[in-house]
Amino acid sequence: MTFSLERPETVGEAIRILSDPSYAPAVPLAGGTDLLLDVDEGRIPARTVVSLARLPWRTLHWEGDTLVVGATLPFAKLPAEAGVRTRLPGLVDAVEAVGSLALRHRATLGGNLGRAAPASDVLPILLAVGAVVRLVSASGEREVPIGQFVRGSRETSLARAELIESVAIPSAPRSAYVWQRVRPANDVSQVGVAVAWAGAPGAWQVALGGVLPTPVRVAEAEAQLPNDPPTAAEIDLAARAAAAGAAFTTDKRATESYRRRLVSTLVRRGFARAMAAGGVP
Amino acid sequence: MTGPVALVVNGVPAPATDVPDDERLLDTLRWRLGRKGTKEGCRTGDCGACTVLVDGETTLSCLTLTHEVAGAAITTIEGIADDGLGRRVQSAFAEEDALQCGYCTPGFIVAVTGVLAELGPNATRESILDALQGNLCRCTGYLAIQRAVERVRGGTP
Repeated sequence: MTFSLERPETVGEAIRILSDPSYAPAVPLAGGTDLLLDVDEGRIPARTVVSLARLPWRTLHWEGDTLVVGATLPFAKLPAEAGVRTRLPGLVDAVEAVGSLALRHRATLGGNLGRAAPASDVLPILLAVGAVVRLVSASGEREVPIGQFVRGSRETSLARAELIESVAIPSAPRSAYVWQRVRPANDVSQVGVAVAWAGAPGAWQVALGGVLPTPVRVAEAEAQLPNDPPTAAEIDLAARAAAAGAAFTTDKRATESYRRRLVSTLVRRGFARAMAAGGVP
Repeated sequence: MTGPVALVVNGVPAPATDVPDDERLLDTLRWRLGRKGTKEGCRTGDCGACTVLVDGETTLSCLTLTHEVAGAAITTIEGIADDGLGRRVQSAFAEEDALQCGYCTPGFIVAVTGVLAELGPNATRESILDALQGNLCRCTGYLAIQRAVERVRGGTP
């Protein structure tokens, strides 16, 4: 493994380097905690690594009820920010599930989205609350809902030389993310479940991670939850419906049948946690 | 490509020349600057043996490009006792015999120091242990390490 490192100071310069064939193949670097391992092992060919560290994206602010997280803000900065824990408890659950604190001092939300791992701990909650990814390229800016942004395992709708600038995350005071792993600490989740009460559509949203190549919303489960707060019987039906969906993955972390059992259990736990987080109206 | 990097290691300017673009902070510290207290364990961010402080924050030096932390203040195990808290953590590990083979110990002492500083004096025992989840002891000597943490906090070990 050997590459040249570019550390541009402006977004325009970063995009120019990523577009210039003389640097190709060129990949953007945020925290590097995932990317560098793939570059090391040749899974990602990189002649040039373009660090985004100098771009003005280590930011976090509220636009009304929407939290806007800059692409290169380290995960560790997020839970401590005023209001995040109460307005987006499910996001804090997910962020604190990522790696270890030392890893989260470098790993970023933008990097996690750009890498689009099937078992990402943050994608399910972003899907459940209806987050929107803000992208920038030479042809301007565009916004893509998270469900359309992630196209497959490690596949996104990012165009060549297009960068994630920030992620806009609507607040969801009743939300939770719960997960199961072989080893609780510093491991990859076998299954992750996010639940959120989304105020605007006025509905419960349920999203699963780790069961398919991409995180998925489960409409069949959501259809069982017409009331707020949901009854125990409704949550039970939703848990069964979520576990009965399309063929789940079997891999080294878990079999399909075990994943179904986990989904059923974690949906129930997720609702218990979400109701405790925001209180019953 | 290579280039110079101006690091400050344990309070002392430690300029390095001709650092390859893809070099990790771990390798710069060990092989270029001779600070071999920082250990290489997994090299994949799973074990915490390579933990150093970058501007006070616990950081996995195996996953950090040296050029990305140019100008930063790096604290390694060699400098941890220069600070009052780090000195107390180091002493507590010795007093509690919080090591067996010792390979994870530098990373643990640096991580405990960084975590206690970051979480502050009112942090709960649970939150401190959560923040140390990224440090593995393959001898499984965790109870003594927990006692060392408690000793630093002033509680009953």
